[in-house]
Amino acid sequence: MQVFFILGISLSLAIFCLLIKKPGVLGILNCVGYLAVLFLSVVILRQAVLSQTPRQFSGFICLDTLSAFFIFVVAVVAFASALYSAGYIRREIKQGVISEKKAGIYYLLFNLFCGSMFFVPAVNNLGMLWVAIEMTTLVSAFLVGFYNKKESIEAAWKSIIICSVGIVFVLLGTILFSYAFSISGLSKSLNWSDMVPVAHILDKNILKIAFIFVLVGYGTKAGLAPMHTWLPDAHSQAVAPISALLSGVLLKTAIYAILRFGIIIIKGVGFAYFAHLMVLFGIISLVIAGGFILVQKDLKRLLAYSSIEHIGIIAIGFGLGTPLSCAGALFHVFNHAVTKSLMFFGAGNIVTIYKKHNINAIRGVVKVIPFTGLMMLLGVFALTGFPPFSIFISELMIMVAAFTKGSYLVAAILLLALAVIFGAFIHHFGKMLFGNLPKGMVKAGEPLSGKFVFLFLSLLICLSPWAFIFIKRDWVWIVRKLFLI
Amino acid sequence: MRLMVLFAVLISTYLMVMAKRAPALIRGFRFQSFCLFWATLIIARREDEWGLYAVAGLLFILKVVFIPQLLYRTIKKIKAPEVLGLLVNPQLSLIWALGFTYLSWIFSAQLIGRGNEAMVMLAIAFFVALAGLFLMISRMTALAQIVGLLVMENGIFLLASMVSGGMPFFVEIAIFFDVFVSVLIMGFFVYRINKLFTHIDVFRLSRLKG
Repeated sequence: MQVFFILGISLSLAIFCLLIKKPGVLGILNCVGYLAVLFLSVVILRQAVLSQTPRQFSGFICLDTLSAFFIFVVAVVAFASALYSAGYIRREIKQGVISEKKAGIYYLLFNLFCGSMFFVPAVNNLGMLWVAIEMTTLVSAFLVGFYNKKESIEAAWKSIIICSVGIVFVLLGTILFSYAFSISGLSKSLNWSDMVPVAHILDKNILKIAFIFVLVGYGTKAGLAPMHTWLPDAHSQAVAPISALLSGVLLKTAIYAILRFGIIIIKGVGFAYFAHLMVLFGIISLVIAGGFILVQKDLKRLLAYSSIEHIGIIAIGFGLGTPLSCAGALFHVFNHAVTKSLMFFGAGNIVTIYKKHNINAIRGVVKVIPFTGLMMLLGVFALTGFPPFSIFISELMIMVAAFTKGSYLVAAILLLALAVIFGAFIHHFGKMLFGNLPKGMVKAGEPLSGKFVFLFLSLLICLSPWAFIFIKRDWVWIVRKLFLI
Repeated sequence: MRLMVLFAVLISTYLMVMAKRAPALIRGFRFQSFCLFWATLIIARREDEWGLYAVAGLLFILKVVFIPQLLYRTIKKIKAPEVLGLLVNPQLSLIWALGFTYLSWIFSAQLIGRGNEAMVMLAIAFFVALAGLFLMISRMTALAQIVGLLVMENGIFLLASMVSGGMPFFVEIAIFFDVFVSVLIMGFFVYRINKLFTHIDVFRLSRLKG
């Protein structure tokens, strides 16, 4: 029931944007609305954990623990982004970068974007899942091209074309899935809740081919290399709060879609097929992202490549397939969403003050905007997997799983790539945060709502590992609960 | 009758692959969409299902009338040269297309076995999707990329309607709506690109690197 409220809140906020012309009021409404969404998502997660079977609403929406978890992750980042937007957009208007009318359009697109992302984990029908993900592509293209500069329009065009091609492949895969379902003599249906119980009697060859298409297509949306080429462009050109949403949760919704099909594949074809593909794409992403992070010159592109790296780690985690690594990968989904949002908000503050993306032009952030600088420092260590932050815990879980399973090669590549990326990040950010101030740069103020977001996110980063103390079940139970296997 | 329509789809795809100018490409797309409409109508009559009639009607309105008209208007408004900027010349493109036909034939024979009608349909659907991808890669203008994407979607539609007997009705409607909106949005971005860059040559969009 609560899920209808969540979708309703996003849509009604979008309608408010058409009625109310004052961007300040819209910003506050947004914050209140997404705070309510956050509470509702916690309620949904609680209900999903307590109930034994997936809960269906009107045949159209179906929630199990996995979908509830992803709704929760989207809600956290959406709330943080709404809060940050309020201060960010006000400053943009004050500086004359955008007009008040355009700010209204921004809030409209923001709500549509969030609404379509809440829709993805909620729907039951795999065809509607496709439609929801395509909706996220279409709405986000406007938000990428929002500033209407040459670079941003180019990025928007690339993202819409490449993602659309990917998504067409997914449609092909989805149809093959439904074909496998219909030739097995069962009634026609595209609902995953109908497909999962009968997956073992479906035609194996068709399922295998179909999953390749689905993985390549949704992998394009998720930013798995080598289909990632649109991602650094889009994430670096988008408005700062939107970059956080794109990197933090849009990629995760695509991962969710892959997992939905993956569950059917694991039951129908066997685990090895799924595992090999996921680990392969994960490692390619990790290595390619590592190389680009090392030589990067643009702050926001650096963070975008880091998203590709983390998506690679998540894919490896699911691909290893032991209960520990799957739990680690899911925990990583949450951790990366929170940490990367913090980093993109920080980058947004830096770019508005310095007016440049170039790493070499940004020096002495800690002296100019001390609060942001401090939070970015925390974020850099958290993002690169430094203890005691949450990403360290989830990466450790995946690493331990790789060693205990005996996949030493995977573990070695993972360790090497993480070490290289750690070094590169410390190098880049050490210069940016602490170097000598450029000429004419003075201490600047930061909006209060922005500070509040940083505190909220850093609390989540520091405290979420402690949640495991309160979970009195073992990994096997958690993974069973999540994947219905 | 159904095989005749499928053959027409095949021919229309070859025509599009060989097209040098934007209007010819759009004409080819219109012809192909009309064939799909015809094929859906045949299935709708055989199964006697109102949902399929509605799908056929929607297909006609959107892909035969509205989208080609929109694309024609876009070319007229942006006043860009009509050539598509072929990276592969028409003759060579045709050879590629024939190669794709053979490939998809083998692929579908592998997948569901030789000799039944479903396999022919699967082969043609795969071929149309592949040809769409080829159009997107080997033509330089943004407009050709839009048409290529639409051709890919046509191929998938063919697959859906013929192999699995159609998707659930509301999914079909949602997908149509989605395709329509995406063409509108891409058209909007073509305007923007033309305004900012004064050309729609996507191979010259290379400001973002690394």
